[in-house]
Amino acid sequence: MTAAAGAAVAWRPPRSCEDYWSEWKHCKSLWNRFHHYYAFGTSLTCRQWKADYEACREWEKESSAEAKELLQQSERARVAEQNKFAPVWQLRQKPPDDWYLPLDHSKPQDS
Amino acid sequence: SSRTGVKEDTVSHRGEQQRSDEDYGYGLFPKRKEAKYKKGSVGESLFTFHNKCQLMLHFALETSPYAKFLLGVMKQSGCTAYQDRHFSCEDCDGTVSGGFDAATSQIVLCQNNVHRQSHMNRVVTHELIHAFDHCRAHVDWFNNLKHLACSEIRAANLSGDCSFGNELSRFNFGFKRHHQECVRDRALRSVLAVRKVTPEEAKKVVDEVFDSCFNDLAPFGRIPHSKNDVKFASRDFQNRDRYYGNL
Repeated sequence: MTAAAGAAVAWRPPRSCEDYWSEWKHCKSLWNRFHHYYAFGTSLTCRQWKADYEACREWEKESSAEAKELLQQSERARVAEQNKFAPVWQLRQKPPDDWYLPLDHSKPQDS
Repeated sequence: SSRTGVKEDTVSHRGEQQRSDEDYGYGLFPKRKEAKYKKGSVGESLFTFHNKCQLMLHFALETSPYAKFLLGVMKQSGCTAYQDRHFSCEDCDGTVSGGFDAATSQIVLCQNNVHRQSHMNRVVTHELIHAFDHCRAHVDWFNNLKHLACSEIRAANLSGDCSFGNELSRFNFGFKRHHQECVRDRALRSVLAVRKVTPEEAKKVVDEVFDSCFNDLAPFGRIPHSKNDVKFASRDFQNRDRYYGNL
């Protein structure tokens, strides 16, 4: 049987393993810790990035369902964290109509 | 010290005037309502504030990682920003550094108040965040104080306005969680600069929307404290299809 049109592409980790590694390194850096404390007043835990990196490597080696599940859960939690609060405004479906309109150089009192 | 992100608003649509320009902060930008192409005097020096502003603006757009990232994201969303259409160097009142005019989709840079490249970079970034908000959301700049406050919170948060270094230079020596105090304060001042509301009203609105807007980190996904943070943000943005497609 042939694959149906629009068949799903094979799953892969949301980020490359190199990305997880560099996020972990970046998270642990003194600069980042300093600025996290400056912004949030709390200390930072970077363990999740490391766990994600290991799960990513696990997936690359053995395509284990467990690694996939771990990664998906971790990233979904990150997205949920970013969407904790309801937005103040409504998002657009398309850019503003007048973004490219030429400027009107006459004074506004003119019609 | 300078204030950035002063909100502007339009008054007239097709000649109707509901409230005066002063109500919307236009008084700070006196050149906005004049005819645009006034010629300089014959004796005018070649290297005017206007020329310097244009040069610094160009340099900011070409080299600031923050600005380039925002421009790139906006372009992807259908709002390509062109220097000669979406940016304007003008004289402004007081100490204001810039503004975003939603009526004309233009970022205003105050050529008489911005004299250093680092300052220009930060003002451009700040105003681009307003432009980005305008591009991706139905922001009611004119009638909704919450929307205005929200964009000011985001711009103060994400532009580097409240970086540790900048706060030190203003002799604000806070550390733990100081960033948030700075963001609150600057958002409040920006709102008060362009709207005729009492400090109590402005504070109430900023407090109401603070949690939501301080945590809205689009398009960076994180508070960018350095060019490196912007690199990571840019990488995430390039990767967004893969990211959301594999959640």
